[in-house]
Amino acid sequence: MAGPVQQVEVRWRPSRHARRLLTLALAGLLLATLTRRPELVGVAAPTLLLLGVAIPGRPGRPGRPGRPARLAVRVGLASSRLYEGELAAVDLAVDDTRFDTRWLLEAGRGVEPASATAVNGAAARFEFTVPRWGRRQLGSAALVLHDPWRLTEGRAELVLPAVDCYPQPAVERTRVVLSRLPNRLGEHAARVPGEGTEFAGVREYVPGDRQRAINWPASTRLGRLQVNTFAAERSQDIVLVVDATSDVGPPGTSALDLGLRGAAGAARAYLDGRDRVGVICYQWGGARWLAPSLGRRQFYKIIDTMLSADAGWGRGETFSRLPRAALPPGALVVVFSPLLDQRFVETLRDMRERGFGLIVVDVLNTVPPPRRTFSDAMTRRIWRMEQQAIRFSLRELGVPVVHWDGSAPLDLPLAPYTRRPLVVHR
Amino acid sequence: MSAPRALTAAAPRLAAVLLGAACVAWTAVPPRNTGLAALALVVSIIAVVAGALRLALADVPQPEEGFFLTAPVRAWLTFLAVLRGLPWEEIAVVALLWLEVQHPAKPWHTAALGFGLAAYLLAVHIAESGAPAGRLLRRQAKVLLAGACLLALGAGFAMLPAAGPGAGSALLRVLAAAAVVAAAALVLPWRD
Repeated sequence: MAGPVQQVEVRWRPSRHARRLLTLALAGLLLATLTRRPELVGVAAPTLLLLGVAIPGRPGRPGRPGRPARLAVRVGLASSRLYEGELAAVDLAVDDTRFDTRWLLEAGRGVEPASATAVNGAAARFEFTVPRWGRRQLGSAALVLHDPWRLTEGRAELVLPAVDCYPQPAVERTRVVLSRLPNRLGEHAARVPGEGTEFAGVREYVPGDRQRAINWPASTRLGRLQVNTFAAERSQDIVLVVDATSDVGPPGTSALDLGLRGAAGAARAYLDGRDRVGVICYQWGGARWLAPSLGRRQFYKIIDTMLSADAGWGRGETFSRLPRAALPPGALVVVFSPLLDQRFVETLRDMRERGFGLIVVDVLNTVPPPRRTFSDAMTRRIWRMEQQAIRFSLRELGVPVVHWDGSAPLDLPLAPYTRRPLVVHR
Repeated sequence: MSAPRALTAAAPRLAAVLLGAACVAWTAVPPRNTGLAALALVVSIIAVVAGALRLALADVPQPEEGFFLTAPVRAWLTFLAVLRGLPWEEIAVVALLWLEVQHPAKPWHTAALGFGLAAYLLAVHIAESGAPAGRLLRRQAKVLLAGACLLALGAGFAMLPAAGPGAGSALLRVLAAAAVVAAAALVLPWRD
């Protein structure tokens, strides 16, 4: 098993079994002296003999190398990056095999232990899952060593490494494509003729056309040479905006959780389609962003940027205008937000006014709890109406708002916009 | 957990409980009605039962967070903490030895109790640590055999007639027995 070696300090002490034997021996000797009965000395004899065998020596003493003061422990993590709910494992091994070894895992916060293999051996494997995204400390592992007599035990603690848990990407197989695409080679069929593979129409032959493009059935029918035309294939720029200003809902299915999962799914889908994808995490104190780019590596960079998303109120300055460098002209902006913050809604309006094509995925799946008092019910109703007004105003601006519950594939709410190119009115 | 595995896990616990009960029964008979003997008997029974319960409930997990718990759950957790916190086996051993010296028992009776107590402590250790019993006993066989010989030697000393009447001669016998046991332990080839 491969893995870095950690030198851990071992603290030796008498075991619980040794303490019990000592109690029996001392009680026997004391009672023998008090009651003057020599057979009680005999009762103490076997335990004294056992304890004598395992007289604890100083760890690391040259004369007694049997109890080392330090041990080399190998820690191997199957993967330092995993998705929510994915099973991962950490392997632990100690080089010194002279002792009876027992491993104990103290799982860190947010880490759920799954199963353990060979915990009573020199090499053990602990499986675990991380149910929610974020950077998690795996916790610590305790190594308990027993001498062959089981009368002394050594205990060592080692801190396990941290893992990055990525949000589980939502299922998205279809893509929203803008009607006007930048003049860059890609996989989306554009409305202009070009050298793509998708059939666009038939036109009359002009000198310079390739002979292989001649449509012979049409030419025979019309009596003049006709050639096939094809649609150009273009790529597009996608900017994913995750609203981390408010995180409402139960942990695991909160608005931020759904936003990150949706953005991860969208990033994967668009990167698979050879589009350039960037991300903006909008949060208090500023936005973290990553300029659009291509490739598998960009997917992990996007996730790493999103992992820094931290919901919180009133920390530092905010702004309503997103940086120009994060938003290339003509990009499609896919927003994942619960639309609870008015300043973020203003930012969306600003982007729309700047001419960007926007789609808002509404990830709000919770409502204020119902109360009995009249004022609470009225407040709840006003809140609902306010939310409806926000969504209505965005639709009036030409921004589609779709609701996603987090369990269905993302294709489902986006279906009306993936069947045909999205026309953006400027 | 499959039935054979459950039986394998339960066997050492059951053995520990049976050995504890056997030690209590061995020491309690014949019953004495003095106050100290009755107290020692009650304490030893409580300690053996509590030790058995501790072994039986060893796999019950302790919740990480103890906030906002109901009263029955809080009481159950307190019970578990008491069960796991006190050294029941040590208490049982001391109480049983004290009960033994309350009796005018014969030396072989006390020697048998010594065997029983050593076996009880070993069974408790095997039950709570999950150590493989066969391997552990093979490793300690020589030492345990030597200890049994010393135990027999101590009992034999007790059976010798005293040199003369009076407390001084009895104390002398105890010291002689201790000296013989120590000397034998020193010359026995028990080291690996």
